[in-house]
Amino acid sequence: MTTPILEIRNLHARIEDREILKGVNLVIPAGEVHAVMGRNGSGKSTLSYVLAGKEDYEITEGEVLIDGEDLLAMEPAERAAAGVFLAFQYPIEIPGVATMTFLKAALNAQRKARGEGELSTPDFMRAVRQAGSDLNIDSEMLKRPLNVGFSGGEKKRAEVLQMALLQPKMCILDETDSGLDIDALQVVSRGVNALRNAGRSMLVITHYQRLLNHIVPDVVHVFSDGRIVESGDKDLALQLEAKGYADFDNAAA
Amino acid sequence: MRQAQQIRLSAAEETLIAQLKGAGADSTAERISVAGLPTRRVESYHYTDLKTLLRTVPPLAEAANAAEAPALRIAGAYQLTIVNGRLQAAPSAPAGVVVGTAAGDVLSPRDDVLVHINSALAPESLNLHIDGVIEQVIHIDRRSDGPAAHSASAVKIFVAESAKVTIIETFLGSNEAHVGNHATFLAVGTGAEVTHITVDLSARAATHFASNQYEIGPAANLRTLAIHAGAALSRTQLFARFSGEGAHADFTGLNLVDDGKHCDITLDVNHAVPNTTSKEMFKQIARGRSKAVFQGRIVVSRDAQKTDAKMMMQGLMLSDEAEILSKPELEIYADDVVCGHGSTCGELDADWLFYLMSRGIPRTEAETMLVRGFLAEVLDPIKDEALSTVLNGIVDGWLLNGK
Ligand SMILES: Nc1ncnc2c1ncn2[C@@H]1O[C@H](COP(=O)(O)OP(=O)(O)OP(=O)(O)O)[C@@H](O)[C@H]1O
Ligand SMILES: [Mg+2]
Repeated sequence: MTTPILEIRNLHARIEDREILKGVNLVIPAGEVHAVMGRNGSGKSTLSYVLAGKEDYEITEGEVLIDGEDLLAMEPAERAAAGVFLAFQYPIEIPGVATMTFLKAALNAQRKARGEGELSTPDFMRAVRQAGSDLNIDSEMLKRPLNVGFSGGEKKRAEVLQMALLQPKMCILDETDSGLDIDALQVVSRGVNALRNAGRSMLVITHYQRLLNHIVPDVVHVFSDGRIVESGDKDLALQLEAKGYADFDNAAA
Repeated sequence: MRQAQQIRLSAAEETLIAQLKGAGADSTAERISVAGLPTRRVESYHYTDLKTLLRTVPPLAEAANAAEAPALRIAGAYQLTIVNGRLQAAPSAPAGVVVGTAAGDVLSPRDDVLVHINSALAPESLNLHIDGVIEQVIHIDRRSDGPAAHSASAVKIFVAESAKVTIIETFLGSNEAHVGNHATFLAVGTGAEVTHITVDLSARAATHFASNQYEIGPAANLRTLAIHAGAALSRTQLFARFSGEGAHADFTGLNLVDDGKHCDITLDVNHAVPNTTSKEMFKQIARGRSKAVFQGRIVVSRDAQKTDAKMMMQGLMLSDEAEILSKPELEIYADDVVCGHGSTCGELDADWLFYLMSRGIPRTEAETMLVRGFLAEVLDPIKDEALSTVLNGIVDGWLLNGK
């Protein structure tokens, strides 16, 4: 059997004295898209932060492998170079850092970490322009400091632009659909679908079944109180939409 | 006769007194004999107690030639070099620039010991007269060469009506415990546009004192930038006075302070006439056990109606042992003015850092990007490309040195 892209085994994490992840088990084979749905505050973003390497959390149990390698032992930048990408639920604004400078630094840092050469400026510009036009992102926007003054939806699109540019192996999208208008949802979904291939996996966190009409998942998981309590095919999302989470609250403890 | 209370003079004070007497500056010598160097009880030196901080004063500088210190070159600039207070052979000046020398003493008298010492000890002054639009950046390269020495230097610049010029002054020297005391007088004529930058790049072992006096004429536009990135003890004093209506000035500065350093920028701006505006933006970054000081005073005279002045200090702490101090003061004697000040101090934002790292940018590089971002507001307005490259290089050099 081939190694899955992502393997999470009995993952427990806490912040200060509060346990938030309470034994997450999740395996995403190469090429699959898994959706995660769950109540507000159930720990979905926490899972995404823990995977990306945010410092605030203490991992108390469990392991995470990316392509068979110990993800938790890596620094955030190493995780990115290993192929992890998190499209943030709330992308932050960083004044003083120009978007293009940032994109180039990120791309070249990852290439360097993988032992590849730097991209030339014309090649870089071409790649950004291409990714931008696919996502209807005005090139004027990219002249601003990172995310500064971007609308909510623009920020989400900019996250997907970064993802398209960096070509990660493991894409984690945390509510990328929230804040998008109907047209933008189509554009972004098209952008995400274009990235689907046999070597790339995705973890798509969302509250709305609607997104899953565009980005059709292979597996849907229900997240409740810090763990996955139910998994099924795409119809599970329809079932959730109709009935809510109540049925799953005390499931599979 | 009143018996002056005897104070204990430090070795540095004894040396200074002898040097001042030797230069015929008896009254300055006398003041130091009686009062000593300013201590923290003197308000304007509250955070920079010279009596404690200035341990030794080396012998007065001898004339030296420029062989020792490597020069900092700014591509395309017209460079004038002053070594140990004396102007070296000057290359022929661009059209509109007249270069000369005169007896020292360029600053207006004021009750300040560093000003007194400069006036007494500067061997000569470099005089520049600027007329017309000068495309070439003027670089005044001031150096302290040879063995450790106390050296004073002075520059006097007149910018004529409607002229435009960018001047950068850099301070470098041999790797010795020099004490430099430098002065610049800059008069900005009617409607003139001037950028004036001073950068201390002296050896860590050195002490750097500088006093810049600005006289700002009607409808003039001035931008100043003072950077400390060299000596372990430094203080740059900026004394500015608006003397004509309709003028605007941006006063900016940057303290780059690392372990064992104490850097002080002290600003005193006087809006003396109506209808002038100023913006003060000072940034301080400190790491290791170090101290960064900014004191800013804006005085609005009684007749200076419609003054608009906003002063800001932003500090960035890169270590727990660093201290960043800020003392803003507004003294307003007019009633129809808009004035304000603020200061903030913090560490690098952990969420910003995480965002950059999560995209594959290693921690050190991410920190550098954020520090550059923090400084952009002060460095970006310098439009000349070669100059901007040099200034960013100085910041990057400072950042790299700390790693
Ligand atoms: N810094 C923190 N300190 C204490 N509790 C925290 C902290 N960060 C998150 N939490 C808590 O952890 C729980 C899980 O939060 P998380 O953001 O992972 O939820 P979520 O499933 O993504 O919710 P949503 O659907 O609203 O985005 C919440 O109860 C939240 O309040
Ligand atoms: Mg969330």
